[in-house]
Amino acid sequence: MTTLALVAGGLFFVLPSAGAETSRGFRQLLDAVVRIDVREFSYEAGAKRFQSGVGSGVIVSADGLILTNAHVVGLRAVEINVTLANLERVSAELVGWDHWTDLALLRLDPEEVARKGHTFAVAKFGDSDRLDPGETVYAVGTPHGLTRTVTRGIISNPRRFFADSRGVKGYETGQFNTWLQTDAAINPGNSGGPLVTSNGRIVGINSRGYSGADNLGFAIPASTATKVMAGLARDGKITRSYAGIVPGALRDLEDFYDLELNTGMLINSVDPGSPAAGSGLRGGDILLAINGQPVDGRFPEQLPPIKNLIAAQPVGTELTLSVKRGDLTRDYTVTTEELVSRVGEESVVEVWGLSIREVSRPFARENQLPDEEGVLVIGVQRGFPAAVAGLSSGDVITKINDQLISSIDDVLAAAAGYENEPQQVLVEARRKFRVSLYVLKP
Amino acid sequence: MTNQPFARLALLAALISPITQAETPDYGAMLEERLASVVAVEFAIEHEMDRTVNYAYGLVIDNDGTVILESGAISDRATPDQLVDFKVYRPGMPSTQFARAEYIGQDGYTTWHFIKVAPEGRHSLRPITDFAAADLSAIPRMAEPIWGIGLRQKDEDFAPYFLRSRVSMIQRLPQLTGIALDSVAGRGCPVFNERGEFMGIGTSGFGERMMIYSQRRRGEMSVLLNPDEAAGFRLAPEVLSAVGRIPDNPFGRPLPWFGIDGIDPVAPEVAEFLGLGSATGLVISEVLQSSPAETGGLLPRDIIIAIDGRPLPRLKPDQVVAAHLMREILKRRPGDTISLTVLRDKRELELPVLLSSAPKTPQESERSYFEELGVTVRETVYSDVVARREDPTTLTGVIVHFVKPSSPMDTAGVRVDDWVKEIDGTVVDTYPQALELLEAAEASGRPEVVMLVSRGGETAVMRAKIDS
Repeated sequence: MTTLALVAGGLFFVLPSAGAETSRGFRQLLDAVVRIDVREFSYEAGAKRFQSGVGSGVIVSADGLILTNAHVVGLRAVEINVTLANLERVSAELVGWDHWTDLALLRLDPEEVARKGHTFAVAKFGDSDRLDPGETVYAVGTPHGLTRTVTRGIISNPRRFFADSRGVKGYETGQFNTWLQTDAAINPGNSGGPLVTSNGRIVGINSRGYSGADNLGFAIPASTATKVMAGLARDGKITRSYAGIVPGALRDLEDFYDLELNTGMLINSVDPGSPAAGSGLRGGDILLAINGQPVDGRFPEQLPPIKNLIAAQPVGTELTLSVKRGDLTRDYTVTTEELVSRVGEESVVEVWGLSIREVSRPFARENQLPDEEGVLVIGVQRGFPAAVAGLSSGDVITKINDQLISSIDDVLAAAAGYENEPQQVLVEARRKFRVSLYVLKP
Repeated sequence: MTNQPFARLALLAALISPITQAETPDYGAMLEERLASVVAVEFAIEHEMDRTVNYAYGLVIDNDGTVILESGAISDRATPDQLVDFKVYRPGMPSTQFARAEYIGQDGYTTWHFIKVAPEGRHSLRPITDFAAADLSAIPRMAEPIWGIGLRQKDEDFAPYFLRSRVSMIQRLPQLTGIALDSVAGRGCPVFNERGEFMGIGTSGFGERMMIYSQRRRGEMSVLLNPDEAAGFRLAPEVLSAVGRIPDNPFGRPLPWFGIDGIDPVAPEVAEFLGLGSATGLVISEVLQSSPAETGGLLPRDIIIAIDGRPLPRLKPDQVVAAHLMREILKRRPGDTISLTVLRDKRELELPVLLSSAPKTPQESERSYFEELGVTVRETVYSDVVARREDPTTLTGVIVHFVKPSSPMDTAGVRVDDWVKEIDGTVVDTYPQALELLEAAEASGRPEVVMLVSRGGETAVMRAKIDS
């Protein structure tokens, strides 16, 4: 007993000397972490507005690819400036964006790098699937603009599951991945920076913390990040398949459904109008296998991989879903569609002071709209014709004069007509289920 | 000749004197006499777990002990079965003395609630009609002095007190409503003119907008409402119409049904654009499935511009026009016809609609409480399905009306207004079937009941663990 305690004590004292501060890998990692200053526009409140933000990132390839968060650099970035470890600044451009996993990929301007002769280190990935709770990790980034800040903590939970329907600039996130939870201090500005082990290997991309809580930070696991990064580098986006199944955990329900433990996944809901609904699936069904591959959705943490199994199929794939309903088990064929966000394409009609967004399929479904017709108002500018007439965020414009509106192009065309020849315009819009009329006046 | 100016002066003096020398009305005596029309009403609402005691002030309208209470006096969610223990107190009398009363119902058109005082409590009550003006349609003039009665609370024996003000404004909302300079009566208590003629019934505060400044807060806009006293009062003709509308059932049936939803008044700019001139219109958002409106040929987006050939009145604020249409419908009976002129694609159409009887309301739906599970479910009715954007011609499942805190159902995540579609794997088609299934689940000795529940268009399987 005594010897063991001594050995353990000895180990305890030895560990710090092999710790992060002396590790060559860690020093190399530090040289790969960057600060990202971004300026982007938005279509809020009926005008095109610019705003800037600060985040973090990590260089992951010799040709200057930088991994960061989708909520740090978005599709509307107009200027991205990267501050390297040597404090030199280089501009960068967005290569790809995936809000579902909150990841974005940038590339340093190769010409600028070459011209100025900048050098940087490239970080290496570790194995995030092998992390144990309690393992020491470090977060590196730019919290509150404080460049090159290192904080230390442990892995609090290596497989946290949560989805957030508006987590990334109003876009959905977290449905296809689990998260690493850490108590390393993660503050605004840490976003996009790496979570690393003491040898400097990236195990996660720091993404979010619970505001108002102490030391509850979350990072996207490296296993997810590397896969998404490859897709973004190749295509600029990740295309996923959608079947319309809302999964639920089976925990505690196995007896009721007469199932062996660790068999099948509960289908909580089937989106109306989705491929799954079309093939006859419904809430309360049990999904046993996808294309013959058994699924196990006993716990919430097990759901993202099952969702990924469907999402990873090419769009238009015929899936064979083995489904148990009551005592019967049979196969259903579901042809997948492309997964789209609730957040549709956006634009602004500045002459009316009107910010608009396409009504997407998920938005229509969430709001129980009869169809995807119309264009959603996402903001109005005070004192401009739309606001004066009484339009406001949440209205769905269905008609302008006698023209039915089904896309933002229809609105932009009507606005162009108005700009050429300003005269009163009659707008029909739905607020929730109430139809109202408005007159826009020059 | 020389006397003439004096004679004129004398005449003028004679003309003026009745006004300048008019005696102040004897408010005290008038108030004392009119108290016989005012009562304080106490009643209880029985809930699943407890009962709440409520108070309201009421007005006696006839010699049979009928008392009216304003619509807000009784919560919409309470069903008639839940309304119990009505007690009627006389203002200023010891609160140990009261008469029993029973709930009669609510009139759909006037929205008054009616109760009836037991015979032994009716002596010395006087109907408000005893104090009505000779002309029953009389309303007070702008700036006319008015006064009213307020009642203190039970701990002060509902002691009466005097309030006085002047008419500041008369509005159609669309009910004829007076607004006084200040509080003029308790809510549900009467308002009189200087001759003691009944002029109306206090309904609500006027909601004055005020800025609040304090050391910690800069000017903040607030709306101040007096919950006890009213500056707004429903004018006598509206109140007296209640006399002939005593319902003979708790729900005020027969209730006419038209079947449109989301009636939106057009703004003046829109009316002008549509060529309605200074007239107004109402946009119909939805025409409900298999309703009289649908049968009558109305379509969503039609703009109603006239009822029975009469253009819609220009009532303000605009929303009042929608209320006007609803009242026009509600004052009719099932089987009556209402003829609407609508604007569709710039053409005027005349559409007669034969009103039918309103489908069962949520209030009328049957319900049952399951103590062990901690849930009350009720029958699904037409409006439930309409509100959930599904086909209301088939009424399946049951609606969750109450969830007991920390009960198995609460812990399982079941919430009020959830729509239960399946119970223990069986699709629920009817309410009796749901009761059977839940009773069976409670009696089965099984550790759980599993339900498929719909909320906001999404379903979820919920498992309630039953304590053994």
